Amino acid sequence: MITTHRLSKLYGRGLYALRDLTITVGKGEFVFLTGPSGAGKSTLLRLLLMKERPNEGEIIVNGHNLANLSRAEIQEYRRGIGFVFQDFKLIQRRTVLENICFVSEVIGVSPAQQRRRAFQVLKWVGLQHRMNAYPQELSGGEQQRISIARALMNDPALLLADEPTGNLDPDLSLEIMNLFREINAGGTTVLIATHDRELIRLVGRRSITLDQGRIVEVAEGMRA
Amino acid sequence: MRAIDYAFRQGWASLRRGGGSTLFAVVAIALAMSVLGGLLLVTWNVERLLARWTTSAEFSVYLRDDATSEQRGVIEAFVDQSGAAAGREYVSKEQALVRFRTEFAELASTAAGIGDNPFPASIEVRMQSTAEKDGRADALLKKVATLPGVADIRYDRAWLAKVGAGLDALRRAGGVLALMMALAAAVTVAAVVRLGLHARREEIEIMQLVGASLAFIRGPFVAEGLLQGGIGAAGAVLLLWGGFAVASASWGPQLASALEGVDPQFLPARFCALLVAGGMLVGGAGGFAASRHAV
Repeated sequence: MITTHRLSKLYGRGLYALRDLTITVGKGEFVFLTGPSGAGKSTLLRLLLMKERPNEGEIIVNGHNLANLSRAEIQEYRRGIGFVFQDFKLIQRRTVLENICFVSEVIGVSPAQQRRRAFQVLKWVGLQHRMNAYPQELSGGEQQRISIARALMNDPALLLADEPTGNLDPDLSLEIMNLFREINAGGTTVLIATHDRELIRLVGRRSITLDQGRIVEVAEGMRA
Repeated sequence: MRAIDYAFRQGWASLRRGGGSTLFAVVAIALAMSVLGGLLLVTWNVERLLARWTTSAEFSVYLRDDATSEQRGVIEAFVDQSGAAAGREYVSKEQALVRFRTEFAELASTAAGIGDNPFPASIEVRMQSTAEKDGRADALLKKVATLPGVADIRYDRAWLAKVGAGLDALRRAGGVLALMMALAAAVTVAAVVRLGLHARREEIEIMQLVGASLAFIRGPFVAEGLLQGGIGAAGAVLLLWGGFAVASASWGPQLASALEGVDPQFLPARFCALLVAGGMLVGGAGGFAASRHAV
């Protein structure tokens, strides 16, 4: 699903966020990216989302070399990716239902289809009863579940999450990880950046540890 | 179609959220369009007066005192056959004197002291409205001037041309002023729309990440500008109409008199529609400029 080859990202003079990074994530795999702050986890996710371009190396996702994509192809590529952030990135003046429908609406999906799919994903994350609430009326765990529901709206083949449990307590974190496991069980490739090693141990999936932009360890997880 | 629907829904919502800053942009466009509309209103009414003067334009062929009736007959026949005249009237020396005494009563005593009648006989020719434009009036004048028995010719088109030139100058100056104000209004709209853009920065980021097209990302900002422009221009038309109604009610007879009996009229619907479209264009341009900062 994802292959990077000698990928480097340079910020400023000689400051490498990623250096000669070569990794492979298979289709349907669940992989953690871990490491200390500044290791390059978020940078790799930003490169995969094409929010930034690498200085060297290449990224192949689902057979597409990201360096060769046109603007229209980038839009099409992003429609196949779901993303979840630590700070949820929910729009405060929209209700839960509007937040979720929004990502389908802006790619031209019909209102009927948007609502049908929104009810499905809300039910799946167990928050269908909160669809008319505003984000500020929800707990952190609920907001993250809404954020995950939103990421699933366009039925992505790849789900990227950057510290999705960073703002949550351990119980809620495990609950959110269980949602990711269920998503993965449905065939979606999941790549999660987290510094929470205990959580990685509990979930028991492959983890790639980065430090100063390089791979320092790859551990096969013991499935929990 | 969905992108347009989305753009106008979001543009309208942003317009309502904008509050004071939106009002500021709308007022800027209303001012620019009021100047342009006021200019149109004045020039359009003056043009109507000019059109009337042009259609009723006359030239006078003054006859020599020794002109014979045969020579007068030749001149009249020539005018009739030219196809440029809508009508003609012979004014004898006596009729000219009577007319002078009637029209300039205060000078009647002066005229009484004159022994011989100094006024020449003349043929007053009323031109067809199209004769000036297609050059027939000019050709007729040149030819009549060469005929025997003709002392002089006077045609009132020179001052008509001067009034027309003055009107053109007024239109140009007003156009430049309106253009400058429209530019200022577009800059104001762009600034206001950019404020909304910053408020929606996170929303735009999500749109980009889910692969929304440019039409969806930029559209709402262009639509917001179009709406601001349309509302501002519609406000300007209403303002002008109100001003015109008050002016007509207060000084209607004086205005009609100044326009020589031509009733002042408000701008026709097509001009009002053009003003609103112009306002939308100005606002849309501002919105488009601001939208370029979205991606």
